[in-house]
Amino acid sequence: MLFKPHFVLNLAVTILTLMVCFWLSLLRIPGLELFGVTPNWVLIWLVTWSIRRTLLQAVIGGLTCGLILDGLTRTQPSHILPLIVVAVLTVIIYKRIIKKIQEDFISVALIVFGMAIIVEIIRSLQIQVFGYFNLEQLWLHQQQVGLSTAILSSLWAPVIYLPLSRWWALMEPSNQLKS
Amino acid sequence: MGMETRSWWNRSRNQFILLGLAVLAATLVRQTQGAALYEMYYWLTRPFHLATAMVMEQEKLLRQVAPRINQLEAQIQELQNQNQKLQGLLNYVNSKKQEKGIIAPVIGRSADIWWKQIIIGRGSQQGIRNQDLVLAPGGLVGRVMSVTPNTSTVILLTDPMSRIGVTISRSRNMGFLKGDARDQGLMEFFESDPNVKVGDVVVTSAYSQIVPEGLPIGKVVSVDMNKAPAPEAIIEFFASISTLEWVIVYPNQKLDPESNQNSNDATKSQPN
Repeated sequence: MLFKPHFVLNLAVTILTLMVCFWLSLLRIPGLELFGVTPNWVLIWLVTWSIRRTLLQAVIGGLTCGLILDGLTRTQPSHILPLIVVAVLTVIIYKRIIKKIQEDFISVALIVFGMAIIVEIIRSLQIQVFGYFNLEQLWLHQQQVGLSTAILSSLWAPVIYLPLSRWWALMEPSNQLKS
Repeated sequence: MGMETRSWWNRSRNQFILLGLAVLAATLVRQTQGAALYEMYYWLTRPFHLATAMVMEQEKLLRQVAPRINQLEAQIQELQNQNQKLQGLLNYVNSKKQEKGIIAPVIGRSADIWWKQIIIGRGSQQGIRNQDLVLAPGGLVGRVMSVTPNTSTVILLTDPMSRIGVTISRSRNMGFLKGDARDQGLMEFFESDPNVKVGDVVVTSAYSQIVPEGLPIGKVVSVDMNKAPAPEAIIEFFASISTLEWVIVYPNQKLDPESNQNSNDATKSQPN
């Protein structure tokens, strides 16, 4: 069961898109950045992943992204907490609201916007606890940075969301057929 | 009840195995500081990297446009020679001569917007080690934090975690420089009444544990004498840290290469 071709293909695509998101977050391409800030690609991937998934799957997704991001940057303060919060909130928002209205890329872009702001707020609180910045500078910087990533992320969200959600939807019925 | 549990387990076993594997793989990435991801990133972006030859060409052009660079360099050479002779007369123990640096293209920046790091396209295979010094036209910009075979992560002076000992060149008043995630640095003085004014040049301090003394960093753009617990000055860097395209990496002689066995042993021990 683990090694059916469509299953392996799905796994490969999932891992590859996540890796591409990590690589994109290292790049700074003119036109993609605002004040040296880029879209939070990993966050977009995580929101796309968490939509229409169980709470456990979403939490594991957040944990995985957080662990990798910690490895790529710095382990303290950890990215795990904000990303798990994002995953859980996305599942709740999807089940409570989006499911009843309509799932399209605009609603996903809105979720990404909100989640980007939440991530930045949690990050700045974490960093404040660690005491790297003084308070006034922190909030000044936080407002600028948080808003820029949120705007950029929500604008770029469809680029990750549309193909990836299409792909996962395509994989779903065949999964059900064969099990 | 037992049957139900078993069939539930059969249905979700694969899912649990996969999710467990995902967490395991991610933990591995974290323990190796993303070495594999950085290596793959290096090979993928390789066609777009700035070639060393191009950097040399740019330098040559710059010298044609500004012949004063050559003049100043000749003057420095002369002063260094004189200085060495005088030091010889005084039996002053001089540090080793600076070795040749490695030109490295900047191939990426931090994956997190709070940290100010750059990823450069040279690593342990080219002889870069942890804690090496990273310079750009203008002066010191940071030091190497972790190394993979072909890439290195550099912590910039603007990073909020960066702390280095610095001196006001004119008055020798000392303090430490910390980044604040923006394009300027913040210097905190050790003395409560330092002799400092706008325009003073800031260099690395002789008392720094991690960097050699006398490397240029920037100049003072404003001073706040009333700041508690110690006066502060805002420093503008000579190098344009936010738009670096290439840097030069020098071995750090301040640290014994054998003694800086940090957490990334696994990723930095291939000499060839």
